[in-house]
Amino acid sequence: MHSLVVESLNTGVILVDADYNLVYFNHFMQSHPALKSPDILGKNLFSVFPELPKSWMTRKLQSVVMLDSPAFSSWEQRQYLFKMQHTRPITTSNEFMAQNISMLPIKSDKTKNEVDHICITVEDATDVCFYQEKLKLTLAELERSNRTDGLTQIANRRYWEERFNTAFLSAVRYNEELSLILFDLDKFKIINDKFGHQAGDKVLIESAALIQSMLRQHDVFGRYGGEEFAILLPNTGLRGAYELAERIRVAFENQIVEYKSFNIAATLSLGVVSYHSGIRNYDDMLTRADMALYESKRSGRNKTTVYQAS
Amino acid sequence: MTLSVLICDDSALARKQVKKSFPENWNVDVRLASNGLEAINMMREKIADVLFLDLTMPELDGISVLELLKLKKLANYVIVISADIQPEMQKRVTELGALAFIQKPVNSEKLSQILEEYGLL
Amino acid sequence: MIEITITEEQRDCLQELINVAMGRASDKLARYLETFVHLQVPHIELVSSSELPQAFAETYGDDSVTLLSQGFYGQDGITGETLLIYRADHTKNIANILGYEPDEVSEMEQLTDISSILTTTFLNGLAEQIDNQIAYSAPRVISSSETSIEKHLQDLSFNWELALKVAISYQVTDYEFNCDMVLLIPGVAIENIQQVLDQILEEY
Repeated sequence: MHSLVVESLNTGVILVDADYNLVYFNHFMQSHPALKSPDILGKNLFSVFPELPKSWMTRKLQSVVMLDSPAFSSWEQRQYLFKMQHTRPITTSNEFMAQNISMLPIKSDKTKNEVDHICITVEDATDVCFYQEKLKLTLAELERSNRTDGLTQIANRRYWEERFNTAFLSAVRYNEELSLILFDLDKFKIINDKFGHQAGDKVLIESAALIQSMLRQHDVFGRYGGEEFAILLPNTGLRGAYELAERIRVAFENQIVEYKSFNIAATLSLGVVSYHSGIRNYDDMLTRADMALYESKRSGRNKTTVYQAS
Repeated sequence: MTLSVLICDDSALARKQVKKSFPENWNVDVRLASNGLEAINMMREKIADVLFLDLTMPELDGISVLELLKLKKLANYVIVISADIQPEMQKRVTELGALAFIQKPVNSEKLSQILEEYGLL
Repeated sequence: MIEITITEEQRDCLQELINVAMGRASDKLARYLETFVHLQVPHIELVSSSELPQAFAETYGDDSVTLLSQGFYGQDGITGETLLIYRADHTKNIANILGYEPDEVSEMEQLTDISSILTTTFLNGLAEQIDNQIAYSAPRVISSSETSIEKHLQDLSFNWELALKVAISYQVTDYEFNCDMVLLIPGVAIENIQQVLDQILEEY
């Protein structure tokens, strides 16, 4: 009766002796191609299943015998030990069955207190594995979309501010250089009014892409408001920040955005500020960048102004 | 002459277990100590001939007790009764002059055998 | 609120059982790992589920730690979970201790492997003394340097109010490795273990 139960289990069961020779396997395991050949009983586990990671698994099996305690392998660490087909080839995409494996000590001789066999159970975790991977991807995607501006695909304001906050604290703590460029598209309202909102959107998208291509990996580029953008420049002093701002301004000036039959040109006004000891906090630094940007606008636009401590 | 023995263990249960494992007709005067410090003080007053000593204890552990006893030449008969049965530990204990090492919980046959071996019965 | 208290006798008895279990476990470990394992007197107390996150926060503070859990279930309703806590700077020697080839296993797998060995050898040692048999679930990584233990525990709502907590620290001197094991026996299982302790106390 017991053996019937083991045969009909939805879990693989393998029994090996203390020399790891195959003593028994149940029906579930027969789906493994290696177990199809005759006279397989009595052969060594590692010769029957060459896919097993031999030295690691031997050490595990040793622990089962020596410590008289179970050992485990989870699909999260090792997706599978036995290369087997799984039962969801249609609805999941794993190549092999993801497995949770237990290795259990067995004492067949009750009179001797010695582990002389090991029972290996193989549980199909393909479902769990598949949906867990999916969940991971979904969470990563959610995380990405949570911090991205939908239109321009650069950082949104919330995420940019978060990064700025961290960068600011680290600049203060480690006395690192940190600069900020805040900029605004000049007369954006006129572009919208004249060519329509779709044209305005296209200008924003192409501008964001142009500027992104001019930045380093660690710079954080974010959309701050409607047509207002901000760039966070870690480990960058005032001179470097100003030079970059100017390069952006000139590149932008020469950019033509095509929309239907229109060629749209636009300019930028920029404000630059660098961290120094007079700046007490994060808001302080933003306000100063704002003041510099405002100065660029006031003095005729298409211009970069550096905030100077007075 | 009645032999006097001292059982030193931080656990009350363990002290009882040791006492209960003594041979039935062993005529001894039993004293108890619940940590190493107490045991050292009692041994200094030479109130016990045989010491049954646990190793893992707070305050002063069994190894330190053995070291002190060896230094002061205070005890002739120390039998260590410990849960820590690692070969390395058994070696250290023997080097420090313990007569024997018994694994917890105490097996009374093993204890009798040791007592007999050293003529303490 | 369930009123559970453990008497001094029960605590003493449990402590002795644990000492012996630790002794047996470390003897086996010493032979398997070929190194000396240092034992310390375990700390036993009752903790409420509301205090647990705070207690962990106080012990581990800002340290970067990895927490693993392994569940166990014995006969007579003796069940619980063991938590193993590793400080980041102590994880690099584990492959060495386990006798694995370098780069053969990931860090998380090393941690699950050593956790399983520590948990099962210790609890088997406890089970032998109380004529019990314990089965185990596979160990799992609960939190790592990215999420703090406190945060993880706070996110949970426990279905128990009080748990018996046994804290044990392992030191493997040859490899400069140590870790903490916290055994938690929650709710009704405390009463079950108390019954076992009372039976033992009656014998002496």
